[in-house]
Amino acid sequence: MIKKNTLTLHSLSVSKDSRTLISVDTEVKPGSITTIMGPSGIGKSLLLAAIAGVLPATFTQNGSVCYDGAELTALPAHKRRLGILFQDPLLFEHMNVAQNIMFGMPQNELSKQQRADTLLADVGLQGYGQRAVQALSGGQQARVALLRTLASAPRAVLLDEPFSKLDMQTRHQTRCWVFDNIRQQGLPCIMVTHDEDDALDAQGPVITITQPEQDTDKLC
Amino acid sequence: MFSTALLVSRWLFIALLIVPVGAGIVAVLLPALSYFPAIGEHHFSLAAFSRLMQVDSIVHMAMLSLFTGLMATFIATVGTLSILAISYHTAMLGWVQRLLSPVLVIPHAAAAIALGFILSPAGWPARLVSPELSGWIAPPVVSLLHDELGLSVTIALAIKALPFMLLMALSVLAQPHLADRLQKQVCVARTMGYTPATAFLSVVWPVLYPLIRLPVLAVLAFATANVEIPLILGPGSPPTLAVAVLQWFNNVDIFMRLQASAAACLHIGVTGLAIIIWLLIEKGAAALFHRRRCTGARNFASWWLSVIAYFTLGTLILLMLCMLISLVTWSFATYWPFPDTFPLGITLIHWQTSLTALSQPALNALLIALPVSVIAVGLSLLVLEQEQISHRATVSPGLKKEAVLFLPLLVPGVAFLFGLTWFSQFIGAGVWLPVLVSHFVYVLPYVFLSLAVAYRRFDIRYTYVGYGLGASPYDVFWKVKLPQLFAPIMVALALGIAISFSQYLPTLLPGAGTIATVTTESVAVSAGGSRRLSAVYTLVQMIMPLIGFALAWWLPLRFFNPAAWSD
Amino acid sequence: MIKRINTLILLISWAVTAHAQTINFHAWGGSPQVNRYLQWVNTQTEAEFGITVNHVKLADTSDAVSRVLAEKAAGNHDRGSVDLIWINGENFAAMKRHGLLHQNWVSSLTNFALTNPDKNRNMTMDFGIPTDGQEAPWGKAAMVFYYNARYLDVPPKNAAELLSFSQQHPGRFAYPLPTDYLGISFLKYLALTLPDIPHERLYAPVDAHSLRRVTMPLFEYLDALHPTLWHEGKFFARQASRLQRLFDDNALFVSFSFTAAEIPAAVSRFDLPTSTRTYAMADGSLSNVHFIGIPYNSGHKDAARKVVNFLLSPRAQARKKQRQVWGDDTVLDVSLLSDAQSRLFAGEQAHPAALPVNGHNQLLAEPHASWTDALREAWFTRYGDHL
Repeated sequence: MIKKNTLTLHSLSVSKDSRTLISVDTEVKPGSITTIMGPSGIGKSLLLAAIAGVLPATFTQNGSVCYDGAELTALPAHKRRLGILFQDPLLFEHMNVAQNIMFGMPQNELSKQQRADTLLADVGLQGYGQRAVQALSGGQQARVALLRTLASAPRAVLLDEPFSKLDMQTRHQTRCWVFDNIRQQGLPCIMVTHDEDDALDAQGPVITITQPEQDTDKLC
Repeated sequence: MFSTALLVSRWLFIALLIVPVGAGIVAVLLPALSYFPAIGEHHFSLAAFSRLMQVDSIVHMAMLSLFTGLMATFIATVGTLSILAISYHTAMLGWVQRLLSPVLVIPHAAAAIALGFILSPAGWPARLVSPELSGWIAPPVVSLLHDELGLSVTIALAIKALPFMLLMALSVLAQPHLADRLQKQVCVARTMGYTPATAFLSVVWPVLYPLIRLPVLAVLAFATANVEIPLILGPGSPPTLAVAVLQWFNNVDIFMRLQASAAACLHIGVTGLAIIIWLLIEKGAAALFHRRRCTGARNFASWWLSVIAYFTLGTLILLMLCMLISLVTWSFATYWPFPDTFPLGITLIHWQTSLTALSQPALNALLIALPVSVIAVGLSLLVLEQEQISHRATVSPGLKKEAVLFLPLLVPGVAFLFGLTWFSQFIGAGVWLPVLVSHFVYVLPYVFLSLAVAYRRFDIRYTYVGYGLGASPYDVFWKVKLPQLFAPIMVALALGIAISFSQYLPTLLPGAGTIATVTTESVAVSAGGSRRLSAVYTLVQMIMPLIGFALAWWLPLRFFNPAAWSD
Repeated sequence: MIKRINTLILLISWAVTAHAQTINFHAWGGSPQVNRYLQWVNTQTEAEFGITVNHVKLADTSDAVSRVLAEKAAGNHDRGSVDLIWINGENFAAMKRHGLLHQNWVSSLTNFALTNPDKNRNMTMDFGIPTDGQEAPWGKAAMVFYYNARYLDVPPKNAAELLSFSQQHPGRFAYPLPTDYLGISFLKYLALTLPDIPHERLYAPVDAHSLRRVTMPLFEYLDALHPTLWHEGKFFARQASRLQRLFDDNALFVSFSFTAAEIPAAVSRFDLPTSTRTYAMADGSLSNVHFIGIPYNSGHKDAARKVVNFLLSPRAQARKKQRQVWGDDTVLDVSLLSDAQSRLFAGEQAHPAALPVNGHNQLLAEPHASWTDALREAWFTRYGDHL
């Protein structure tokens, strides 16, 4: 039976020169955050790239990514609608805060400006819409980045070490806030991290990758 | 649709570099081999070459081209090395860079004319020491201008080559992965007791040089084959080979064109020889360096490097200052009898005369520079986007494309531009199209190299975020990348315009002299009767590209910059 | 495809300049006055006939000759890039020889009659070669010398004095390469004035014997002169205009020109010192008429003819004669003009640097055109690699 709003990885693996670097087979339910743990350089980010559809051409992927039973693997990245968040908020600096949020909204959405303002107000950033993104603090930028992703109505959210650049104080706070929002929206989420605290706060299944194939493997 | 455009752009890019140069070489080779049906020459023969070899001074001309080119490149390379060695990771590097950047966009012709002003026996330096020190009441009869060894040509070439090499080196050193590693390695060497200059010489330079070898060879090729500088400053009996080619080509006797074509082919050989000699020098120097490095001398060459660096910088600054003051003074001067340090009065008449006369040439220069630069920037962006989307850049540095870029810079212009002119006259392509194509061939490499640095540094994750938000590759390109890269795009555009403005031969030859630009007019007037007009023309020539760069600096402050609005 | 793009570009450039018809006038561009005069011509022809005259500034007239020749060789017989060309002497001879000029058009110009060609033979003879209606006279000029009164009280007044001057003041005199118009003119002046030369032979076509008779004394003179020249005769100015600049630098004390009016004008423009004085050599001044031709393959012959007729009009000729404009002598016979027209040619105020009225002692006609190439070649054979 096909479950609603579920992201499934069917033995998805990334390999280079016919050597498998990472392989995962899992199902992520709506509102649940699956953590993929492992030391850096093991290819966790490559796995996310494969899910998002932006795997560099020198790597090959096997297996498939499905959403509600429909295969996403054949789609180009921009049609998969999988929102991605990196450790840097990566806000577009040529746009102001509201424009950043509006950029991702579906085309047919009405009164985008108004909605952006409402979303901002909801997270305590009332009246920040017209500001330049550079004027925001790190925590504020992280919030805007998530708002931007959520406003684009993604099928699922991918988190690539999203909190590693925040300092200890804001990290926990931001993390809880991000996770709460994802759960509220009922979105399936995959997070890769090497921080145990991230996994604890996520309160979801944890897949730990241990493949000490570090000797010749140099990933940039 | 977008991805097709990207793929097409890649092939177009390579074709637009190879085809004009290739067609030009073929079209100059045929008449050189005496095959030219239009004037009744239907049989291949070596007649033109054997006639060329009978010219008494042919060896002398070739040697002159070889010598000036090699010397100028050598001076520029040693200058670059020593300046970097003493300023690497110091505050000085910043101001050296700021100081030399404007020199980069000064057209070669303008630099040569300006140098001619101060080397002239009636120039400022001679006036400063006269009559008290020198006893001269009339200008001395001996001068460096038009000297038989081409020393003044060498100086002018080196003045232009040095900033180019230095900035090329700096852009390589600014590459994030390299900068970090080298800085740490220098640190290690310093802690072992090496002086900063020696540490640079033994740690950074061996890594840096191979990365700037192509630009250095391009400088060398350009220096051997440049026309406008020896035309303005060079000896006349005999001139450099490139100048001789130009003169033969313009000879009344159309059969001289066959000889000119043969000489143009010979020039490819001369430039090739210069490159071979350079590579041999490189090998020798590397071996020498290696031996010295193994001795472990902690301050090897340190003293020499700083002497050369300060001497080079000092000379360069003094020359630039002197040139600028000379030009400005002459452009406003009324009467200025010889030993006087300053003119008897100032006037605006020369500027008024020139500005009316220059309006059409300035318009022509823009009509060429704008479309050429816009297309070059557009094409480069598409190629870089294609490269990024297909992840080529992240895997290999795209070496082949880079080599193709240097093709028009390595093949002497006098050779393939003549061929291109023959070819376009033959197919009746008029003058504008060949001029645009020739400019394009020279503009594209610089525009591409300048854009590539910024484009490849662009954080690819912005693209992924864009995809995640449902934006198509086309949308990401237009709405995310281009606005964020607006500043470097404007700089590349300004650079393209500056390069196009400065082209002399690519305007003169394919345009058959009918398209006057500020640069061609400036070179023409430099041989004319009025030093004052020449000064104005040269200044205009220097100012025009600077306006472009000022715009490139100002526009990004104004556009795609929300910070400017919210304040 | 290329042609189509090219047409497009032509259209764009046409739209930019927004003119009905454009004539490419290939003319030496080394003189600001001539350039400015041609700009004035352009404004007049645009207003009167809607014809734009685009002055293609040549460093050397032979560039345009070789261009037409190249077009003929490439089979371009009806859309050549040169519509008008300013020539005389051996360039005319070369174009006539190769059939590069449009024929029998001059006599149909209404203003040509004003030159009184039946009486003035030099309106239809160019360096001893009949023009045969292939070029129209435009102006007259004679060689003048000038010196810097700050350094010299008395200038050299003939060829012999010139040599002794140069020996006394080494490096203070120069002449351009004989590929330049003024350079070859200087050689002709010497050939026509040095003793021991049978001067009448210069007015007949050259042959080996006459050439030897002429060049032996000529080269004897030059052999003595060259080591005393600017740059010791090892570097020659490629263009005549260079001499003016060297004179302004005070590097030269004596120089010469074919456009007498250029000298006071240059003084007024600050391009020559106030102590400049113009004079004519006592042993004679080389003089000639210069002409305008229409290449056989011009695509705009009718418009070109209209422009030439305008150039021959009293209004255009009188303006050209004004010293502050150009100062080129008119080819019109002023006695044939109406009172109103001849008043346009009334005299001007004297200028200290200008040649005094009636300053020429004796005008020397140009040698036969064949001598130009012969003298030049002989010079290069002897003085070598200067190209």
